Formats: sequence, C-alpha cells, structure tokens
Amino acid sequence: MIPGNKDNRDGWLFSLPFLLVFILFMLYPLVHGLVISFFKWNILSDKVFIGLENYKNIFSDEKFYTSLWHTVEFVLITTPVLLVLGFIMALITTSKSPLKKAAENVFFIPYIFSMTVVSTLWAWIFQKQYGILNHVIGMFGIQPVGWLTDPKWAMWSVCIATFWWTAGFNMILMSAGIKQISSEIFESAEIDGANYRQCVFRITIPLLKPTIVLCLILQIIASFNVFGQVYVMTGGGPFGKTRTLIQYIYETGFSYFKMGYSAAMSYILFFIIMIVSVVQYISLGRRSDE
Amino acid sequence: MNNTSKTRKTVGIVLLSILLLIWFFPFVWMVFTSLKIENEVVTKTFHFFPQNPTLTNYIKAFSSSKILRWMLNSAFTSAMAMILTIAVDAPIAYAFAKIRFKGRNILFWAVMAGMMVPFQVLIIPLYLQFNSYGLINHMAAVYLPRVALPIGIFIMRQFFEGIPDALEEAAFIDGASRFKTFFEVILPLGKTAFATVIILSFINCWNDFLWPLVVMNDTDKYTITVGIANFQGTHGTQYSLIMSGAVIACIPQFIFYLFFRKKIIAGIAMTGIKG
Amino acid sequence: MKKKNLLILLIALLCMATLFAQAAAETKAGPRIVTFWSLFTGGDGEFFDAIIDEFNKTHTDIQLKNDTVKFDDYYTKLTAALAAGNAPDMIVCHQGNLLNYVPSGQLLALDDYLKANNFPVDDFVAAPYNACKFDGKQYAIPLDVHPIIMYVNMDLLAKAGIKDIPQTMDQLIADGIKVQEKTGKMGIDIDNTTAVYKAYTLTRLFFSFIYQQGGTFLTADNKAANFNNQYGYKALQALQDMVQKYKTTPAGLDYDTAMNEFKLGDAAFYFNGVWATGTLEQQKDLNFVAIPVPGFMGKPAAWSGSHTLAIPAKANIDPAHVADILTAIDFITGHGEMWAKAGHVPTRISVQNSKAFADLPYRKGYADSAASAVAPPTTAAWDEIYGTCSDLLEYAVVNNQPIQEALNQMEATVNKIIATY
Repeated sequence: MIPGNKDNRDGWLFSLPFLLVFILFMLYPLVHGLVISFFKWNILSDKVFIGLENYKNIFSDEKFYTSLWHTVEFVLITTPVLLVLGFIMALITTSKSPLKKAAENVFFIPYIFSMTVVSTLWAWIFQKQYGILNHVIGMFGIQPVGWLTDPKWAMWSVCIATFWWTAGFNMILMSAGIKQISSEIFESAEIDGANYRQCVFRITIPLLKPTIVLCLILQIIASFNVFGQVYVMTGGGPFGKTRTLIQYIYETGFSYFKMGYSAAMSYILFFIIMIVSVVQYISLGRRSDE
Repeated sequence: MNNTSKTRKTVGIVLLSILLLIWFFPFVWMVFTSLKIENEVVTKTFHFFPQNPTLTNYIKAFSSSKILRWMLNSAFTSAMAMILTIAVDAPIAYAFAKIRFKGRNILFWAVMAGMMVPFQVLIIPLYLQFNSYGLINHMAAVYLPRVALPIGIFIMRQFFEGIPDALEEAAFIDGASRFKTFFEVILPLGKTAFATVIILSFINCWNDFLWPLVVMNDTDKYTITVGIANFQGTHGTQYSLIMSGAVIACIPQFIFYLFFRKKIIAGIAMTGIKG
Repeated sequence: MKKKNLLILLIALLCMATLFAQAAAETKAGPRIVTFWSLFTGGDGEFFDAIIDEFNKTHTDIQLKNDTVKFDDYYTKLTAALAAGNAPDMIVCHQGNLLNYVPSGQLLALDDYLKANNFPVDDFVAAPYNACKFDGKQYAIPLDVHPIIMYVNMDLLAKAGIKDIPQTMDQLIADGIKVQEKTGKMGIDIDNTTAVYKAYTLTRLFFSFIYQQGGTFLTADNKAANFNNQYGYKALQALQDMVQKYKTTPAGLDYDTAMNEFKLGDAAFYFNGVWATGTLEQQKDLNFVAIPVPGFMGKPAAWSGSHTLAIPAKANIDPAHVADILTAIDFITGHGEMWAKAGHVPTRISVQNSKAFADLPYRKGYADSAASAVAPPTTAAWDEIYGTCSDLLEYAVVNNQPIQEALNQMEATVNKIIATY
C-alpha cells in the first residue's frame, strides 16, 4: 500500500506484544490441557496414559448429554433475547428521549457487578419463601412460585437474571454502531416520508449488520460458557435439571479430581463452540463485509 | 397531529420511566436488604423499607474482614490489567485493521478462537505454570492471564477500520514511519474505543473470581470478589450481610464507571470524522 | 495534558507495586508462624476465629495465621496447592476427604511426631480418632464430630397436644400430621430441593435410615452399591411418603428455607446437622430441644461428618516446626468447648467432661449421639456418589418416582461411578 514500508514485518511486529501474552497465558496452558485429556490424572498422583479413553467415555456418559443440553437450552433462550433487548436499549439511548442518558446508565450499570453479586442478589429476589418477587405476586393472589426450585421455572429465572446483568453490554456495542450511521441518511428518509418503524427496519438494522453479527457471535460464545450464575443460584438443581456443561466439567475436575476426563469434556465444548462460531461467521459475517 | 404526537411522547416517557424504575429496582432492593438486620430480612411479615435502618452489616463487614485491603488489591490488579491490555491490544488491532500482512486472517481466527476457550480448562495448567515461575500468591498472577483480551482487539479493530486511510497516507507522505503514525495519528483518535476497552478490561479483571481464588493464598491479598464470597456461611445464608458485602464491592466500580462515562460521551461527540 | 496524567498514573501504580512487594517480605525475627487454611465461614467462622485469636493471645512464641476459603472452593484450592507444593503448614479437612490425599502421600503420617511430643492421644474419643487412621497410620487429628440430629419445636408440640417425642417412624408421621391439623404449621421439615445449598439432608437421612435397619450404603469393600434392597426401599418410601402421601413436608423445600421455617417457629420436627444449633439458639422465643435422631427404623444411627486437622507432607519438614503445629492442634482441640458453641461435638474426652461444655444446652446430648454416628464410607468415589445420589433422591421424592425404579437407577449410577475411580 505504502511504497517502501514492509507490511509483513510491521504486521507481525505490531502483533508481537499480544502474541507473547497470548501464547504464554492462553496457548501454552491450552495445549497442556489437551495433553492432560489423554491421561488419567487426579493432580496428586502420577499421570496414567489412556489415549482416547476419556473421549470414548464421554460418548456414553448420560450426564454429559444432559449438561450439554442445559447449556444449549441456555444459549437458545438468552441469545435472541439479549440481542433484541440490547438493540431496543440502544434505540432508546440513541433516541431523542429526555430520559436517554438515565436509560443508558440504568441499563449498563448491572454489567459492572460481578457474577457473585448478581447471582446472590437475584437468588434473594427469587427466594420462594421470603423473596420479594413472590411477595409481589402474592399481592395479586398468586401462589408462591418456586422460581429456582421448580424445574419448570429454574432455567428461566437464571436467564432473567442474566438478561438484567448483561443486556447492557450489547446495548453499548449496538449504540456505538448506531451512532456511526450518518444522520443524513435518517434525515433524507424522513423527508421521503418514512415513519419510525420503517427507519428502524429498513435503515438501522441493515446498516447495523456488522455489529449485530459481532454481538451474535460474542453472545453465543459467552452463553456456551455459562457457569457462575447457574451454579450460584440453583447449584445445578433442582435435581440437576439446570446443571450446565461447564458446571459438570468444573465438578469433574475440581470436586472429583478426574482432571483428564474434565479436560476432554472441555475440548469437546471448545470444539462445538468453534464450529458454531465458524458456521455463523461464514453464513452471516462475510456477506456483510462488502 | 401535534396533540397525538405530544400524548404519544408523554406516554412514551411514562412507560420508559416505569421500565427504568423496574430495571433499577434490584439494585435498590440490594441496598435496602443490606440496611436491615437479618431477622427483618427472613421474616413472616414482609417489610419493604428497613424499619430501623442499621449499619450493623457494614460495620461487621469492615471490622471482621479486610474489605478495604481487598478493594485496594482489586483496584491495583484491575488498573494493571487495564493498562497492559490497551498496550497489548491496540497495536495488534491496528495491524488487523490497517496492515495487509501475510497470515493476517489465520492470526485473526486464532485470536477469535482464544475467546471460545472455557476458562476452567486453563486453570490447573495455568496454576502449575505460574507455580513454576514462582508467582503464586503474587499480585501479578492475578492480572497477567487477563491481559490478552480478544474482545478488546475486536472493538479497537472495528474502530480503527473506521478511520479513513487518507489520514495515514498523509502522514506517510510527510515521511513518518508506520510506528510514528500509529502513535501520533491513530492512537489519539482512538479515545472512544479506548474508553470502552478500558472499562471492559477493568470490569473483567475486577469481577474475576475463580482464578484469583486459586492463585492467592493470603487473605490479605484476596481481591474483593474472592473476599466477599466468604460472607457466604459454611452452613447458612445471611442475606443482609451478603448484600452489604455486595454493595461495598460495587462502589468502586460505580465510581470508576461514572468517571469514565464522561470520557466516552466526550469521545463520541468529538468523532466528527465520517467516511 | 493527557500525557502528564498518564505519567502520574504510571508512577502511582509503580509505587503501589513496590508497596505490595514490600508486603510480601516477612519479618524473620519474632514468633514462629504456623500457617493454615480453614473452610469455616459465616457463623462457624466466627467461633473458629475466636479460638485462633485466643491461641495468638496466649502464646508469644508461636502465632497462627489463618486463611479462610469458602467451603465450595476449598478443596479445589487445596488440591491445586498440594500439587504445586504450596500448601500451608496445617489444614482443616473433612474426614471423608482425607482419602483423596493420603494415597498420594500428601499428608504427613503423624505417629512418630505424636509420640515425640507427648501428644494427648488418649484424650480423644476412639471412634473419630481411629477414623483418621489409614493402613494403621494416623494421618489427621479429629477436631469435631457433627452428626445429623433432630430439632423439635416444643411449643408446637404442646399446641398439638403431643406429649412425647416420637420414637418410631409411624409415630413421627402421625405427630407430623397432628401438628399440621392442629396448628397449620409444617410437620416434618426436611429439605428436598437444591438451591444455594444442595439438599443433602435427604441423602443423609436416607443413609441413616439404612444403617438404622442394619444395612450399609455400600458393600464392605466399597466396590458396589448396597442399598437396592428392603432397607433402601423402606427408607426411600418413608421419605417420599412424607412429601407425597402424608404431606407433612412440602415439595420444593430448600436448605435455607427449611432452616428458616424452623427458626421462625413454623415447623415442628427439623432435621439438620448439629451445626445449626448456634444459629437456632440466637433466635429469641424459639422453644426447642435438640436430640440425637431416634432409631425410627431400628437402632439409633445417624450420618455424621467430622472435621479434622492434618499436616501436608513437605520434603525436609522440620520436626521442630511439626512440634509447633502439634501445639496448635492440641490447643484448638483442647478448647473444644469454644468450638462446641457452633454446635459441633468436641472429640476430646476432657472437654466433653468439662463444666464449660456441660453448661452449653443440648451439647451433652450430642456427645451421646456421637456413639451412634455413622461416617460415610471411605472411598475416593464418595464425593461424586454423594452428590449424584443427592440429585436422584431429590428427583425421586419430589416427583413421586416409583421406589424400585429410583433404587435401580441409583444403584446403576453408583456402580458406574465407582468403576471410574
């Protein structure tokens, strides 16, 4: 592009600091973890090489499948809702409403709270006997609901807490994207007589596509990695009906000390996430790059 | 036509206000709970407002634990994470955005893949690694693994891509090296993106739980998220105490966010460069 | 202007860095430090910290440095530290978890050191003390025994016209129903659904009822499940009937709610460990008694855990240092009456006979229950078996699963788990 400058050299030079940290603290332990997955190891004793046996056992492990399903359930519920919520919030914060600044703060602030804070807070709100939510619906004559103890509701309750916690993040990304859309486009549309809905669906969303795709990919990755809030709020219960795959991986590794098996499961999960993300990116991402 | 749009506007504002109040409510409830004594929290007769608002929980939190020390630890490690992240993410984001170099796509995908790794996989190998470096129970152990923040790269890359090539070309024609251009032309323009990445990286490190827990042994060196987790009793939950710990843990983040918010707005307002 | 701010920030950070670096350097002169980790948080933590403080106050030559880790994460951290050689001088460890560390030589065999330091071995109650022996060697010293017991709300019993504490399962059920009819309060308070805490009470009672009938949970060699028989059937049936048939226990009851219901006087019979005593005692106008679990299904037997103190094995460990650690252990176990305030049963005979202990309400009764305490089977697979059975039992009880089907499922799962260890 620029005569005389060495693109290749510069490209790699600029990437070097990141690569150093990345290789040291992510790649190396990642490969180390992969190696562990071929062994039977309980951390304290010596490793015993068992080849692909861990992976074989995973395929006949019922708990693996149910945990994976719970994670997928979570992804399917939270991804679309969080995208839509984030988008609506972004619309509000980029509108002309006098409340837009307040809205931006209120919607984003939950994101700064840590998982423990959010989870204990919502576990408290959802508490069946003394929590405020059941008190409120009780005022309308509805019987107390086991938000976290009834298998019908448990996953949804955790999802609601997640919406409150992280929708603000999507809002920030999308509102940044919306703000980058030139106001001239909207002005000329208004002159042409377009109403608000048409503006949103014909202009905002199409032009926001790269951001939406980015949010989608990030959201799916994050949702597949769900662990903390489910673990704290329901302990994976009731009777294991909300146990996510990461919780199973965590328990297998850190409570039962079957490190090899745990590592093997994490790699399968990693693989799944990668495939999903690649498929997404190829089908959605490339088109919007033009 | 004017009246209906005015009523529509008022209705819109009212609805939005209600939504915002509901959205903000959990936080209010957290504070209220922290101001009650436990007997008022777990009780048959529900009280919304604290009947005798008391600071006992906060006093207990401060006197029986090293909560101030923990906040200091968190502030330090998060600040270090934040600075190092920008230092490390910005150059590679620039490379992805502006430099066509061999292997760029593969590298980009490798970075992306890094985001998909469930952290639980890394904990034991990382722990053993840090142990071999002699860094267990050292502050650096807390923030070093958090420095590589792939999402920071995305955000900055997106932003850098929006900066017109014309600016760089002008600098090159003036004889500046790529390095100089990066520092003196590109970076100053990145304020908006920086603010976002800084906040994300700070929050990420502050809220980290499992890793600091495993890697720090002395209670003195705990970060605040690890410290307040110990408010959860071995055999029973004391909601009021836990809520007070949660409130305390949030305050510095709150302040940090409010401070940086202004920078974001200023940065966004200043962005007049449109393609 | 921005560059100056950045510079100031960097300098501030560098100063902080040096501050933290200084904090790491410890003073060499002064008392000898014994470091240790414990898992007591919340109410338990307060009582335990009091003992540590008392030690530090009364000793000038040795000081204890305690770091607490929440129970959920404690063993993760401990294991990682042991693997890397970073463990502290002394650790708290559940008796059931000792087996995770003994075979790999992570814990110090104490016998020689105990002899060399005239450790008061004979002052310990035999059962918990011997439970810390593996292959004939002593690997830990028991701090306490904490069995499941029954708490009874005397006011509710009086209101329902019940004069005696039920001793058989039929009596228990009948009394539970009576309480509910006469007072509208919960009859039998047993948590059966996982929320913030797992509903272990259900598993513990299932376990206890099997032993009360003379059965065992696993076979003698711990290689297979042993509850898929008439003992397991009767035990599970009783627990399920409480919820489904007699409705003395609501479904969806979690640990915290179960505790709070009894605490607020809304339940007649409550089952939990001795550790709940401390919290319940603090509740004014709660008129209750706490007794060992009656032999509802036969002879008295109740699930019991035990906290022990152990010493991680380190290369070239200094016998003088071990002596210091044993001094600390001696003190902590010797002040069992302070720990008993949390509800736990001390393991030293001298403490059990002391006035201070006898003055604490109910505690004498607990000490007796230690005689009928049943420890979990010593197998490395126990954590996983316990956690998985908990899920299955919850499901069976709350969803009215046919008993035989539930037992078959549990047996198959348990056997599968054991095979992976």
